Amino acid sequence: MFLAFALLTIGSALAMAFQKNVIVAGLFLVATFIGVAGLFILLSNPVSAALQIIVYAGAILVLLLFVIMMLNAHEEEPAQDDLYFQRYIALGLGIVLIGGSIILIRQSQLLQSLSEQQVHHIAPVSLNQMGAEMMTNHVISFEIIGLLLLVSMIGAISLVKKRL
Amino acid sequence: MITHASFLQSLWTGGLQGYLVVGFLLFIIGLMTVLLRRSFLLQFMGIELMLNAINIILLAFGKWQGGIPTASVFYLFIIGVAACEAAVGLALIVELYRLKNTTDADQHSTLSH
Repeated sequence: MFLAFALLTIGSALAMAFQKNVIVAGLFLVATFIGVAGLFILLSNPVSAALQIIVYAGAILVLLLFVIMMLNAHEEEPAQDDLYFQRYIALGLGIVLIGGSIILIRQSQLLQSLSEQQVHHIAPVSLNQMGAEMMTNHVISFEIIGLLLLVSMIGAISLVKKRL
Repeated sequence: MITHASFLQSLWTGGLQGYLVVGFLLFIIGLMTVLLRRSFLLQFMGIELMLNAINIILLAFGKWQGGIPTASVFYLFIIGVAACEAAVGLALIVELYRLKNTTDADQHSTLSH
């Protein structure tokens, strides 16, 4: 199960990164988000999986696809100065980064000792627990995130509107 | 001592290291998308991918710390910030498109005339 969702996530993310058409890339991004939601269910976190599908695959992607279709910029324009060796350097450095991170994860003793804990008996995180945690220990952060949402809404409106 | 077999088994069956590898791969793919592609919209998608990679790593650590709800609460805050970022980022992209009639990052060097 883990492998299936991981391959769905990574595969559609790669397909998104190398896609020519922006709308098709957006649809691959939906597949990536659904794979991530599956991983959240496997992490015994069904509330986060539901939120992932509602907020990312629902709201943000609809907004993004709406903007893509409104702007009528479906294809990427050709580069202004095409340096052919640039992409090979970038690909090589990306592979170095991936290999380095895998070696780092593989050699970490701390991760190994953490991963030897038994996690099969863990109950899924419920909405009750989340709400109680948020309203007792993280009230200030909750207020700040509400304020941030308000300010970003005002900012987005004032950016796009020509005359206030 | 970490054996090669236990690492591979964790990758196949979904141990902590497996989730971390998936998160790191997703983050690097997002980073490469932001750096390599020229369209603002694709760069925006790369940023969303990086945020999702962080969420996977956060919730994986939350599970292996004993299934604490704090990780889920922080996940909520992260998607709140991601929603703000989406609204403001898309407004900026629309405004830049109005300015020069393109979403190509190479041609945008200023925010106004």
